[in-house]
Amino acid sequence: MNSLDLAFQLNGRAVKVSMAPDTLLVDLLRDVLGLKGTKIGCREGECGACTVLLDGRPVNSCILPALKVQGRSVVTIEGLTRADGSLDPLQQAFIETGAVQCGFCTPGMILNAKALLTENPKPGEEEIRRALSGVLCRCTGYQKIVQAVQAAAGIAE
Amino acid sequence: MRNQDEGRKDVQLLTKEKFDFQQLLQSPSTDLAVAGQSVQRTDARLKVTGKLIYGADYGQQGFLHGKILRSPHPHALILAIRTEKAAALPGVAAVLTARDVPGRNGFGAIIPDQPVICGDKVRYVGDAVALVAAETEKIAQQALELIEVDYEILPAVLDPREALKEDAPQIHEKGNLLSYNKLRKGDLEAGWREAEVVLERTYRVPFLEHAYLEPDVTMAVPQADGTMVVEGPMQAPFTTRRNLAAVLGLPINQVRVRQVPMGGGFGGKEDSPIDIGCRAAVLARHTGRPVRLALEREEVTIQTCKRHPMIMTIKLGARRDGTLTAFAGVIYDEQGAYASLGPVIPPAGGSHIHSMIMMPGPYEIPHVSVDAYLCYTNHPYGGAMRGFGAPQVHIAHEQIMDELALELGLDPLEIRRKNAFKLGSATATGQVLDQSVGLRETLEACAREFDWAGRFRRTGYVDAEKTRRRGIGVGLGWYRTSIGTAGDGCGANVYVHEDGSALLFTGITEMGQGSYTVLPQICAEELGICLDQVRLVQPDTHMVPESGPTVGSRSTTLMGNAIIQAARQVKETILETASEMLLVPASRLEARAGRICDRENPERVLLFREAAARAMARGKRLIGQGWWTPPPATLDPETGQGNPYFVYTYSTHMAEVEVDVETGEVEVTDYVAAFDVGKAINPRAVEGQIEGGVAMGLGYALMEEVVLKNGVPQNLSLQNYLIPTILDVPRIKSIVLEMPNAHGPYGAKGIGEMPNIPATPAILNAIANACGGRVRSLPADPEKVYWAIKEAGGAPQE
Repeated sequence: MNSLDLAFQLNGRAVKVSMAPDTLLVDLLRDVLGLKGTKIGCREGECGACTVLLDGRPVNSCILPALKVQGRSVVTIEGLTRADGSLDPLQQAFIETGAVQCGFCTPGMILNAKALLTENPKPGEEEIRRALSGVLCRCTGYQKIVQAVQAAAGIAE
Repeated sequence: MRNQDEGRKDVQLLTKEKFDFQQLLQSPSTDLAVAGQSVQRTDARLKVTGKLIYGADYGQQGFLHGKILRSPHPHALILAIRTEKAAALPGVAAVLTARDVPGRNGFGAIIPDQPVICGDKVRYVGDAVALVAAETEKIAQQALELIEVDYEILPAVLDPREALKEDAPQIHEKGNLLSYNKLRKGDLEAGWREAEVVLERTYRVPFLEHAYLEPDVTMAVPQADGTMVVEGPMQAPFTTRRNLAAVLGLPINQVRVRQVPMGGGFGGKEDSPIDIGCRAAVLARHTGRPVRLALEREEVTIQTCKRHPMIMTIKLGARRDGTLTAFAGVIYDEQGAYASLGPVIPPAGGSHIHSMIMMPGPYEIPHVSVDAYLCYTNHPYGGAMRGFGAPQVHIAHEQIMDELALELGLDPLEIRRKNAFKLGSATATGQVLDQSVGLRETLEACAREFDWAGRFRRTGYVDAEKTRRRGIGVGLGWYRTSIGTAGDGCGANVYVHEDGSALLFTGITEMGQGSYTVLPQICAEELGICLDQVRLVQPDTHMVPESGPTVGSRSTTLMGNAIIQAARQVKETILETASEMLLVPASRLEARAGRICDRENPERVLLFREAAARAMARGKRLIGQGWWTPPPATLDPETGQGNPYFVYTYSTHMAEVEVDVETGEVEVTDYVAAFDVGKAINPRAVEGQIEGGVAMGLGYALMEEVVLKNGVPQNLSLQNYLIPTILDVPRIKSIVLEMPNAHGPYGAKGIGEMPNIPATPAILNAIANACGGRVRSLPADPEKVYWAIKEAGGAPQE
């Protein structure tokens, strides 16, 4: 088997690609489809930098075979920025709260937060921390990230 | 032969320049428009939209992929190496061994003692014995497996004290002792005689991994004219360049190095880019094609530098009232296989001598001796990691201060109040701290916010079953701004254009700490324009002046001063031009937020860009250049006496923990940290450094350790090298105080490294307070805490 045809929804648009069957989703997104916003930190599903939303749920794309997204919907960090260039409230809140330092974990953090707020619009601090516990950050100490999610959710601290 | 008058004139000129500049720096920090504001980071939008291009995001078309074959043995001779099978694999462009290195087969941030490719022996499990370049990473990996190496295994040295023994195997030709340094102040014997109590303790700390989220990557692109371009994430473009030049056998001006934004550095990317950069460049030179060399996470752990492990013994003498009389310290500082950033760069540069200088802590002690041994071993090597040798010694002195307090029946704050530095104190090197000393202020501010007295009363079990016990701990700290070398300087260029926009050229790099925001803030403030009018040019050694590395908490201060100097040169032209246009003396003019106005007649306004356009049309200079070096560092090599670093940042941390006395698990439940930073150029960014640093210090205390077995690292991935998650780090309250630094931009001094340093001992002290167990060998993981409790005779009854 030389290649596999994959058709799926990517950031709201239909996409069709041919790829080697053992292609990992992260490599498909970055190297074939040119979306570099999804990062690679460990290649073992531990650090969360590679998070994308699969049918709205956060997954580690570095350990997910791309063929698993056949017929499904994938959202990457690029998909959060709107067509007119304006930002999702989470993106805006991360900027304003100072939750971005080196930025490597930022896409993973924002997407996990997006999944949380879609399901639970007014989470408590503990719920926010649990929802983001799959993403490691070495720069921020997490505090402003939690505050950013609260700000995006319209929750006073 | 020059006459005396000419000589005197020269001296006067020199003094005048310096004197004027000093005045410039001491401008009041009130009424600042841009500096001192928590402005949004200039690169945040690119990061939240996933648009910022990091090293690994560059296109790979046309690049060969480089891979490194490493030694499986910690210490061995290379008897033979056969590369024919690997070279014959389709898609392989090159398989290189030691003889293929065109220039110097050695690199290193201080001493180039690490082979680009090992020829005769290997000294640690990360050592390179061959390099491969191939069309794909997969083929390169396959090629590695086809290389055959015959080793003669040598006995390995795995402990720094073993390394110093007479019969120890020699790792390098010059022997295993890389550096012995000593500090002698006062009369130690007199100090012991004055002491009414003497305590002696030994503390051990392991190898730590930086665990930056972004693995290392580099791209080496050979140019048609024989020169080389290397780009990638890196903290030290100039250090990288000088190594590349030597390894390629090129003059420095034929090597061009470009920094790419980093996904974290923490000191690790001060020298890992030299390692992979030199190797990629050698492959690129050999093949004539661009080479991309990326490390997998496991390779980062095996190959790149670590935090130095140490065995530290302190003997501390004090009077019954807690006044310290004598301090004797011994450090066995494990350098590992190669010198990296350990050895001394005279007078006070390099991590080892820094550890020696910092070991007695921020306390007035009349009689001090420190003996510090920096030893090679066949382990991964120690480089720079946030704090650069200071965190280790803080873990020792802050714990023994608590142990002493317990012995004397004193509150841990009381014993510190008795001895902590204040304005005018003399350090262990005899340096008189004559300005910007906010240590005691941080102690009182922290104690107030944390409610130390109240919480002290509330330590005890939090549950009826008496399984979880609460305790509190304090840690004091101090940390230099600058690196203490003779050549610590920063250059900056500022260009203003005819539309009033500005370009800022510095070699300081961005790794998340916020330099790409803070340095333009200073530039905008000085020019009198808005922040969005200043564009920072990404560090490129062909374009930016020598700046030194982005380390040592030096960037805001040293580069900030250089930027002020550069900006003022341009501003002089702007105000002179505005003066001609407004017919008002320049001394009455003020530039702020892009508008120039007459102080005495504020309605008389000229736009900055109008003055810039006129200046350009009149052929006036709109180019500014700044160069700033700190007051000279001094340190006597025999006595360790002198002024090694010109100013220090101070801090006090307080932690509250809950210890499960049955399992040894520790939860940090609350945290307050106070800092004297001189001046916060961007207060929100300062908070970010504090919060992130505390988390790092927490990891050191509770969970981080590179586990080695027979010289082989065991926990290579983020799954088993544990760093704090969002569930491990408590809410952190930061307090920022400002005791202005006369030698800093608007009074600023460094902040990057101070925050993680006192966090570790504050937490360890809190654990001891909570459960009676004192962990002196890190990390204080549940097993160690459990045994410490047992050793203390069991958990407290109440």
